[in-house]
Amino acid sequence: MRPPSPSIPEREFALSALQQSMRIDGRTLLEIRPINLTFGPALGCVECELGKTRVLAFIDSKMIKPPEERPLEGIISIHSEISPMASSAYETGRPSDEEVAITRMLEKVLRRSDAVDRESLCIVAGQRVWHLRLTLHFLADAGNMLDCACLAAVAALRHFRRPEVEVVGEDVITYDPSERPPIPLAMHHTPYVLTFALFPFASTPAPQQTKLSSTHVPTPQLANSSITAVLDPSPLEASLLPSSSPSLLSLALTPQRELCVVNKAGGVPVSPEEFLWLVKVAEERVREVEACLEGGLLKAKAEAEGIGSL
Amino acid sequence: MGSRVEILNDGGYRSDGRRQFELRDIAIDLSRHGQADGSAMYTQGLTEVLVTVFGPREAKLRSQTIHNRANINVEVNIAAFSTGERRKRSRGDKRILELGAAIKSTFEPVIQTHLYPRSQIDIFVQVLQQDGGLLSAAINATTLALITAGIPLFDYVCAVSSGVHSTHAMLDLTTLEENDVPHLTVAVMPRTGKITLVTLETRLHSDRFEEVFRIACEAGKVLHEEMRNAIKARTSALARAMGEGHPAGAPSNREGDEDFEMGDD
Amino acid sequence: MTSTTTLPGEIVPAQHPNLKLGPGLLQSISGTSDSATIVSTRAGELQHSANRSKWWIESNARRYVPAAQESVIGQISGRAGEGYRVDIGGAHNASLDGLAFEGATKRNRPNLKVNSLVYARVSLAHKDMEPELECFDAQTRKAEGFGELKGGFVVKCSLGMSRRLLDPNHFLLPLLGSRFPLECAVGMNGRIWVDTKSAQNTIIVARCIEAADPDGGGLDEADVNKLLNGIQS
Repeated sequence: MRPPSPSIPEREFALSALQQSMRIDGRTLLEIRPINLTFGPALGCVECELGKTRVLAFIDSKMIKPPEERPLEGIISIHSEISPMASSAYETGRPSDEEVAITRMLEKVLRRSDAVDRESLCIVAGQRVWHLRLTLHFLADAGNMLDCACLAAVAALRHFRRPEVEVVGEDVITYDPSERPPIPLAMHHTPYVLTFALFPFASTPAPQQTKLSSTHVPTPQLANSSITAVLDPSPLEASLLPSSSPSLLSLALTPQRELCVVNKAGGVPVSPEEFLWLVKVAEERVREVEACLEGGLLKAKAEAEGIGSL
Repeated sequence: MGSRVEILNDGGYRSDGRRQFELRDIAIDLSRHGQADGSAMYTQGLTEVLVTVFGPREAKLRSQTIHNRANINVEVNIAAFSTGERRKRSRGDKRILELGAAIKSTFEPVIQTHLYPRSQIDIFVQVLQQDGGLLSAAINATTLALITAGIPLFDYVCAVSSGVHSTHAMLDLTTLEENDVPHLTVAVMPRTGKITLVTLETRLHSDRFEEVFRIACEAGKVLHEEMRNAIKARTSALARAMGEGHPAGAPSNREGDEDFEMGDD
Repeated sequence: MTSTTTLPGEIVPAQHPNLKLGPGLLQSISGTSDSATIVSTRAGELQHSANRSKWWIESNARRYVPAAQESVIGQISGRAGEGYRVDIGGAHNASLDGLAFEGATKRNRPNLKVNSLVYARVSLAHKDMEPELECFDAQTRKAEGFGELKGGFVVKCSLGMSRRLLDPNHFLLPLLGSRFPLECAVGMNGRIWVDTKSAQNTIIVARCIEAADPDGGGLDEADVNKLLNGIQS
């Protein structure tokens, strides 16, 4: 069922507010909604909240025989199906355009960019490798599920611990977590995804500075721009653009300034300078997201150790 | 596997003999293809894509019509024989769906859809051979097909792929190079120089990215010239034919296309 | 007015010769005794009027169920012959006749575009039929504020919040009105249309409504004041 398009007053108001650099939920144009990560009781289970959008990621592992063409690498498979629980816009069975986009983006960010070192998942070459299954459940759609899903997936990968195994001759001994502590995954890098919505008009700066949170990072400004870019769009903002597929730019990058995935599929044309400026903005914001994730992981670890020492 | 092929050797030559910034040979065939309103066969090196356009015509499903614009429908079909090894791909393959979605969202702001409310424009992309640069070839072919169909556009869309091999930037990558080197595809609208599509799927440092990105934007303008020349040739042939009162001739003369006299019954 | 929290299925001690049951209460006739018992069907606060003749359950929900004589904000989803189909957030789209406007004749009808907003009154709401709307007051046949809503912005809230905003003793609207001029239309289907002179003020109103919504922030007057001072400083 297609969600109803916004009414004419909502559209016009949202567009005119954006032209004055104001957003309806009070954020600045380049501000992300607050992120809240809840690490579940199981290792590798994370619920990520980006504003009111919620995604649950879960990782489990098992040992399998690797395929013939890649005998030295482990396998990571990603299962993400958006159920109508997230929003009545999604149907089970038939993947909608947005679902295809999210699944493809997750594949690119996590698998093609080699975030996890697959060779370290090999136990016995050609015989036994780890198969990691990442499952994503989309609990609530309040806009920008892609960023939330990628953050949940990355957090789950960082939080997950696989059982330690030892190869003795032909046998593989798996140690229970109570005998030997499980091992974290070897990750080459941690990618974060940021999505912008682009509008084909210039915007005047906000009339007065609203009170900003303490984590606000000043952004580099771009003069003479003919577009307005909005970070972490809300559902209304994403549906404002005239075409049915909104003008979104998704960037996956690491805090070390490496771009993993860039996806701007059509939409509002931007000049090369504006595009490179957006990349710079993303580089600044990624540090905020990284701080959230690292903080969350430390807290989860402290809590787990606190419980363990009881 | 045997010895690795060098991507860029010391003399500055690539594995297929091209230099760093050299594009592959481009062949454009705009002859009419069956019943289609517009069609274009675009070949860049060994990558060959055929795009046919139907429309604007009545929408097949009422539910997909938009009350003030035309609906654009893109279907991509990759032939099983298009790569070195025969591989049949299902219609629902996510990669193919993504390719179609990328083309659709690239052309939605470029086609003047507000002129044809409640109608549908169908774009069928058939990939006959692929050797790298598939998305850019598909976009270029679609632009040409839409122009031959007479659908009004705001501008051309010219796409090219580029990559970087240890600080050396390269343009128009083949499959061999794409598998080895971080690469991106950029689609540019040459009149304004603005970018409509950027895709990157392999990890690349931000500074390297900037270099490669700028080079790809410039390359898009070169492609524009090629496409313009092809369209110009066809259009002047058409204009000449219309002026002389003959049925519209294709640039390539086919046998059996001459007039034949109908006998009196 | 005393109120107690009631859960579905609980028996409610409501007795009166002219007993009127409001939303959330059901009269069930048990087989054994010949007196009817009043049972609650919703979770919420049991309330009754001063003379104990009217009883109802005050509960909150987000999905609107059309009821007659309620004013709602609808979005035109299409034309249907002479009239319009309107989305009011309920299970079915409502129908709004083209002539159901003040001063409309067969020759002179308002021309509403798809996706525009109207403030209308539910004239017919039967559970077996599609609801019907009218854009004028029942007795006077004049607009009285109904009709197309131009400009402004729509805020979505819970049904309980829209009921509270209609209560003249609620604090929010007078508080906002004291800071800047604003015009608003409250729809009982959880949609509130506001219009102020500047975009910033409209955004402030939207955020305050979301904050004071019992389903959302649940802030009371003091907290909303703090929020306002924070935004407007």
